[in-house]
Amino acid sequence: MNKNQYRDMWVYIEKEGEKVAQVSLELCCEIRKLCNETGEKLCAVSFGSLPEGELDKILECGIDRLIIVDGSGYEQFNIDSYANAFTVLSRKYMPSAIFVGGTVDGRDFAPRFAVQLNTGCTSDAMELVYNRDSGDIEFIEPAVGGKIMAVITVPVLRPQVGTIRPGTFKYAPAGRKENVETVHEVIDFPTEKKRCRVVSFTPDYKDPELDIADCDVVVCVGNGLKNKEDLERYRRLAKLLGGKIGCTRPLFDRGILPYQLQVGQSGVMIKPKLYIGFGISGAVNHTAGVDADVFVAVNSDPDAQIFAYADYGIVGDMNKVCDTMIAALEAKKA
Amino acid sequence: MLKILVCVKQIPDVDLVKMDPETGNLVRDGVPSLMNPLDTNALEAALQIKERFGGTLTAITMGPPAAAEVLRESISVGADEGVLVSGRAFGGADTLSTSYSIAKAAEMSGPYDLIFAGKETLDGATGQMASQLAERFDCSQISCCTEIESIENGVVRAKRQLDSGVQTVEAKLPCLITVEKAGFIPRLPRLNSWLQSKNAPITVLDENSIAGLDTQLIGVPGSGTIVPKIYPPQLPEPGQILNEGSMNATVNKLVELLEERGVL
Amino acid sequence: MEGKITKTYNKVSPEILEQLRSVVGDRRIQFGEAVNPVYSHDEMPIYGKYFPEVVCEAESTEEVAAIMKICSENNIPVTPRGAGTGLVGGCVPLYGGVVLSTSRMNKILSYDMNNLVVHIQPGVLLCDLAADAIAHGLMYPPDPGEKTATVGGNVSTNAGGMRAVKYGVTRDYVLAMTVVLPSGEVIKLGKTVCKTSSGYSLLHLMIGSEGTLGIITELTLKLIPKPAYDISFIVPFKTVEECIAAVPEIKLANLDPQSIEFFDADIVEMSSRFTGEPIFPVNMDGTAVAASLLVTLVGDSQEALMPQIRQLGQVAAGAGAMDVLVVDTAERKKAVWAARSSFLTAIEAQTRFLDEMDVVVPVDKIAKFLIFVRSAGAETGITIRNFGHAGDGNLHIYACADDPDEAEFHRRAKIVMDKSYAKCTEFQGQVSGEHAIGHAKKEYLRESVGDTVFNLMVQIKKVFDPLMILNPGKVCTNLEEAE
Repeated sequence: MNKNQYRDMWVYIEKEGEKVAQVSLELCCEIRKLCNETGEKLCAVSFGSLPEGELDKILECGIDRLIIVDGSGYEQFNIDSYANAFTVLSRKYMPSAIFVGGTVDGRDFAPRFAVQLNTGCTSDAMELVYNRDSGDIEFIEPAVGGKIMAVITVPVLRPQVGTIRPGTFKYAPAGRKENVETVHEVIDFPTEKKRCRVVSFTPDYKDPELDIADCDVVVCVGNGLKNKEDLERYRRLAKLLGGKIGCTRPLFDRGILPYQLQVGQSGVMIKPKLYIGFGISGAVNHTAGVDADVFVAVNSDPDAQIFAYADYGIVGDMNKVCDTMIAALEAKKA
Repeated sequence: MLKILVCVKQIPDVDLVKMDPETGNLVRDGVPSLMNPLDTNALEAALQIKERFGGTLTAITMGPPAAAEVLRESISVGADEGVLVSGRAFGGADTLSTSYSIAKAAEMSGPYDLIFAGKETLDGATGQMASQLAERFDCSQISCCTEIESIENGVVRAKRQLDSGVQTVEAKLPCLITVEKAGFIPRLPRLNSWLQSKNAPITVLDENSIAGLDTQLIGVPGSGTIVPKIYPPQLPEPGQILNEGSMNATVNKLVELLEERGVL
Repeated sequence: MEGKITKTYNKVSPEILEQLRSVVGDRRIQFGEAVNPVYSHDEMPIYGKYFPEVVCEAESTEEVAAIMKICSENNIPVTPRGAGTGLVGGCVPLYGGVVLSTSRMNKILSYDMNNLVVHIQPGVLLCDLAADAIAHGLMYPPDPGEKTATVGGNVSTNAGGMRAVKYGVTRDYVLAMTVVLPSGEVIKLGKTVCKTSSGYSLLHLMIGSEGTLGIITELTLKLIPKPAYDISFIVPFKTVEECIAAVPEIKLANLDPQSIEFFDADIVEMSSRFTGEPIFPVNMDGTAVAASLLVTLVGDSQEALMPQIRQLGQVAAGAGAMDVLVVDTAERKKAVWAARSSFLTAIEAQTRFLDEMDVVVPVDKIAKFLIFVRSAGAETGITIRNFGHAGDGNLHIYACADDPDEAEFHRRAKIVMDKSYAKCTEFQGQVSGEHAIGHAKKEYLRESVGDTVFNLMVQIKKVFDPLMILNPGKVCTNLEEAE
């Protein structure tokens, strides 16, 4: 395989109903920067055409080309048809890299077309660096529970496939290009080849308390929490601050809080104005999920790694600090 | 009679793995091994299916000889047999080559109607193994499964928990399923089967005993990705530790600072 | 009534406050309005809330001595307090005055690896000592359920816990201690040796005295080498009676278990609702499980324990167990012990009003006693929940109710408690196994031990604390405040 024959980077445009998923826009913005470095073109791949407003959003990210996959079999997401289309297109156009949002669907089908193409697939990178010497993308991510940072590359095979978690990169459109080429590709996928079909869908009641991705204030609780009943005070503090509570993986593992509240690399990415972490050691796989304007850490261990990330730290018993904060804030309100 | 396969992995207890600050290597000595937690839920789901619909359950893993332990653990709760894919040639494999190796090994005792796998491992955490296995087995796939409703006429009907709601899907057999934790809380082994599992025979397959194995597609040569470098996480410049004497004064100082920054 | 003493205390005046402040400084003193309300109760606020006038957080023996001196000279009552996790009001300042907190005296001072002992301050939390000992390759055997209690508190109540059946209780691990007497004098009791036949053991008098005779400011504790391997088993039964009857058989089988814990279906259900992780069986092959035992064996390795494991299987089968489930991996142990440790919290979280008893009855009386308490509860409209250390007959029984108002609950709970403690005495049991007497269980203690013994306790109290300023109104003293 000659790596140099493979050019241009692709982003899969995932749709939520008629809207483009936020993660696809974040990826377009980030990969635009990468393409500027490598001198390649940024290409968005969409199944079916897009309503004008949504198309504009993608164009604003500075794509050079848009591939629209037409034909039968794409009315709704299907692993078989979507993976097949990417395999067919990739063989035809030979992109150097394909990026897919790390959503449930994205994580289901991207690794499958990577196998079909017999190429390397990475997941959950936090940072993408172009290595000029090798010509490879370095996918950088925390590994082994956040103990180390690992650089992962696809040194021989192409395309380099990566799934990236929502919220990893910022949505910061670079502005639209003048001549954006639109290509329509017709790939029919017969219904009988689809091995899975959706029978029905029942939307969950959306508990607003469980939606912390866009919350301005997040009070995060870590494994320092000894009892479930101690949680109440953190809920109270979050409420006083007009925010919500989140947690680290051990608390989810201990069954104390639901997975929707797990902040970090393998959970939710948050970008609050204020983050306060209580009893959190500060492993990278948690802190990697926090992009806060002001970062406050509370831990009884003065050597806890979390203090390295903090703007302000308090060394002390987490429950006591929380109670004192509640008292101070309530006094202020009164 | 269903033929069921469950793919499990032995991992080090990542909470106890440390990085040597001098060499930058991971220190795994003396770190206990365990079955990847999400694999225990997959195993439980497989056992429930075996009990409900009848069939045989094979547990498969790839790893060093000691990884046979997770197969015995599977047998102790009700798996019928264990297959260990083990050999130097498989070392250093990423998901691309591991999925190939396991699928090829499973062909020896297959074909399987249902394959269960953990959603993600704690050590590698790529979360792509299940999808790649499904591709290798050339089968349908149901992820995030919370309930298996029926298996009839070669079709499995199941519920999936998605971010926004519950989806009911139908998939043709063979099908690979990954499950959510709730609903598949792993059972404890019964003493007699636990004692028997200690001496249960394990089928060990190396690169020479798997029919039709392309050795270019296993181990390092078969891997798509490499890890050229690991390093300790770079810590940012530490912030300001507040201590104004008493807890009250310290917290008041923090509140003051937060007000200045305009985040209250 | 004997033990009733007329007594008047002084209030903490601004001058006394200044003297106290000069001992602990500005940062470790709270007074008046600024006293944190947590100091008015322990984990059973149902027994009443009492506020101290001052809270002092001491950091050394010298500070404790200075505070005691000031208070004895000024006739101010002092109530020592650790983490406040008690269940009988032992650390509650019934007569105001000073609460002396040892929670900042939380240093593990040194290990003596040759003699396998550790020197600590009394405010070290049990969980911290346990973890630190393990990190040194050692084990502190006492293992009471409340891991965030202070070790000083454990010594003051002679706490037992789950491993008592093999290793004994806190008392068996205290070699020496430093004590500040009510007068402010400092004494040292015990030596770092394993035998003594040297006069009355004041050391053992201090253990379990609930901070009424002196304040412990330093402890020397015995440790043991950490067992290399442990494995647990859940043994489910169709009836509570069969379950309890299996306990002596397991003990007689010479398996030397580290613990034998008992719990019934009801508590299992509450715990799994609370933790969301149903780990204990409620059903075996279609038959409901009424109660289970959790048995832990320790040894050098799994291989070395195999004979005991097989024998446990045989004993269990002979005793009518439905099966034996194995808790062997780290993950399984974590899940099982997390569930076991959540029992009390699970009850508290799902109950409006709650009263508790911590009796010890002979092992062969456990089933009869439980049936008696349950029927006493049923007659009175009180739900009885329980779990306990079956291996040593120590039962934690909770009287729970959601419906009546608080006064009505107290009335009904008292009926159940009165009957149950009387039954316990009839069965030759003890009022408390490890939670102690405090002020909540004094009357039951008197009924249980009889007047002669109770009066001896009062006399001992008077010898140590003639002014009655240290933790007054607890264990055996009833004060009547003078006009």
